[in-house]
Amino acid sequence: MEVGPGHFLLAKLDDVARWAQSSSVWPLTMGLACCAIEMMSATAPEYDIGRLGSEVFRPSPRQADLMIVSGRVAQKMAPVVKRLFDQMADPKWVISMGACASSGGVFDNYAIVQGVDTIIPVDVYVPGCPPTPDGLLYAVNLIQQQIREGGRGGLLARA
Amino acid sequence: MSMSTTPLTPEIVSHEGNAMVLSMGPQHPSTHGVLQIMLEIEGETILKAEPEIGYLHTGIEKTAENLFWSQAQTVIERMDYLAPSSNAYCYCLAVEQLLGLTDRIPERARQIRVLQAELTRVASHCVWLGTHGIDLGALSAFFYCFDMREKILDLQEATGGARMHPNYLRVGGVQADLPSGFMEQLDALLEMFPGRMRDLRGLLQSNPILQDRLVDVGIMTQEEAQDWSITGPGLRATGIAYDVRRAFPYGGYENYDFDIPTRTEGDSYARFLVRLDEMEQSMRIVRQVRDTLKPGPYAVDDTKVMPPPKETIALSMEALIHHFKIMTEGFRVPPGDVYQAVEGPRGELGYYVVSDGGNRPYRVRTRPPSMYNLQALKGLAPGNLIADLVVIIGSLDPVFGEVDR
Amino acid sequence: MPSTQTPPLTGTAIDPPALRPPIDDAAIERIAPANVHARLAELKREGFTLLLDVGAVDYPQRTPRFDIVYHLLNLRKTKRVRLLCGVTGTAPKLPTATDLWKSADWAEREIYDLFGISFEGHPDLRRIQMPNDWEGHPLRKDYPLRGPARERSPRPAFALKSNVQAGTPPSGRTLEALQQQIAKIRGEDRSK
Repeated sequence: MEVGPGHFLLAKLDDVARWAQSSSVWPLTMGLACCAIEMMSATAPEYDIGRLGSEVFRPSPRQADLMIVSGRVAQKMAPVVKRLFDQMADPKWVISMGACASSGGVFDNYAIVQGVDTIIPVDVYVPGCPPTPDGLLYAVNLIQQQIREGGRGGLLARA
Repeated sequence: MSMSTTPLTPEIVSHEGNAMVLSMGPQHPSTHGVLQIMLEIEGETILKAEPEIGYLHTGIEKTAENLFWSQAQTVIERMDYLAPSSNAYCYCLAVEQLLGLTDRIPERARQIRVLQAELTRVASHCVWLGTHGIDLGALSAFFYCFDMREKILDLQEATGGARMHPNYLRVGGVQADLPSGFMEQLDALLEMFPGRMRDLRGLLQSNPILQDRLVDVGIMTQEEAQDWSITGPGLRATGIAYDVRRAFPYGGYENYDFDIPTRTEGDSYARFLVRLDEMEQSMRIVRQVRDTLKPGPYAVDDTKVMPPPKETIALSMEALIHHFKIMTEGFRVPPGDVYQAVEGPRGELGYYVVSDGGNRPYRVRTRPPSMYNLQALKGLAPGNLIADLVVIIGSLDPVFGEVDR
Repeated sequence: MPSTQTPPLTGTAIDPPALRPPIDDAAIERIAPANVHARLAELKREGFTLLLDVGAVDYPQRTPRFDIVYHLLNLRKTKRVRLLCGVTGTAPKLPTATDLWKSADWAEREIYDLFGISFEGHPDLRRIQMPNDWEGHPLRKDYPLRGPARERSPRPAFALKSNVQAGTPPSGRTLEALQQQIAKIRGEDRSK
């Protein structure tokens, strides 16, 4: 990016788009279980995810960029998660928050999907049961980094 | 306009005359979790509501059957995830009854457990109030409540090591004594609490918008409440002063002075007021525990159940063996069955625990207060608007980890 | 034997409710399936107006195999009662309690879903926790914990995931790295 004479700013479109995308990642309210409460704490004043750009959590998948799968995914809920992911518009990213979403967690049994990455592609995994809101904030930072560095989910369609 | 007599299942989405079947959820900002409600509506008025649960079924009860008694507590704590210590408390009390240890729990351990149970109740009500406020559009309440909840989570982290699911209460007592600095932190919370409650009541209680939305919405009579097996604030808001801490005292609650707030109207506003009053009564108990906390051991003296203190393991062979046995085999609980109930933030949380004499629970059947409270939605929703339905769900305060288990 | 002991079933293997220590949590009765509805109605008339819970337990080595456990509460006298009803067979059945308490609805559906016990007269007996097309009744003791699909699959080993170098256990590399760091601090030449 360079500032030219007479108030011109020259930059690559990709860079500007990625800067805009990474500064305003809007998550989808995909709160399933205990991790959802820590996600709510991340929106609360003490941790404040709003300062990272995620000021609003959109209930509609059409309007969200980021799906934070926070909590254990039960057998009945798995098709719902898949459908919501499909309904999100590109570019989209997924954070698998917590041990249950990442791998089934403490629940190695008939009822829980052993990792949400068996049904949707995941960009960042956050360990913890539940992870502290700091962990979620770091995960959003990593997503922002991934957006800025390009690749999957950038301005172009995902690879 | 006809009400369909066939049960509303998720497969039915139809349009019949003026009535429409709509699926609200399972992903929805106002359903307080993964709840799907099949609504038969005419315009905005609900003719029939059929909640569909099971979207968070975790198989906790079956998982607990395959873990040691002390390990099972970790999964059981994840049922009511807003008040984890209350699940742990009920489970520990039940197992101690089977072990015959109830009278041998030291006084300090009982007091610390009461402290944790009341703090977790206030934390749970903070989430309830914050999310209820958000549903109504009162966003500030969310921030005030979660700020208060952070202080309580700091205390949980200090004692148990984790903000949620601290696994601090154990069969036989608590895991370790209160850390140094805990009392100062607790005092800071007790100091901050009355001012914060004043703020919250000022923001919400006499707020005309809140009153418009909550008063006379979701009215439940005493007979209906008993028919739907409602317990907790829902039951007390209809006028029945049933609180497990008074009715079937446990853990030393008879030593503390506290009121059971009740109302008679049975509407959402009454449930709202009852919970606010309950928060204050809980802090009253916390204050009494803090003032009367006795020194002493933090766990029962039985090293077959409670691991011996770490310092003794290097010095005593017996301590080492007991520690080894507990960690690798767990402890055995004599055969029998027991129903233990505590007053959770949502009502009577009960566990029917069956032991076959082994080192794993044979069966842990949960009496989930949220499931029974939520079922009342079938009776309360018809005739109301969808906006009122959101208020009713919030006032019943379900948590789906418990409903679905 | 204290009066809170449950009358034992005859000719049974393990029967925990009969072996229970004298815990005073509820008055306990064992009822035959034919009489359970009448007894529930009678108790409701006597003042046990709140149905606390309906649950089930599976004792596969015992006859009858399943125990349905009703907990009732008398609000006026603050007393509890526990009714144990044994059912057995390949398609066990019991009359529903939904005509006495509306709240028995979901509890009985859950027992049907997770144990396979039907309730005659239930308005809407279908699965509640598991998806509608699920096969099997998960909380039965002969149902595998991890579900029939994964019953024999091995637990995933961390070292098999492709993002960890196979062959070298993580702790080995960490130890090596640590030793090199220490050597560097000490100014020794430990490189190989």
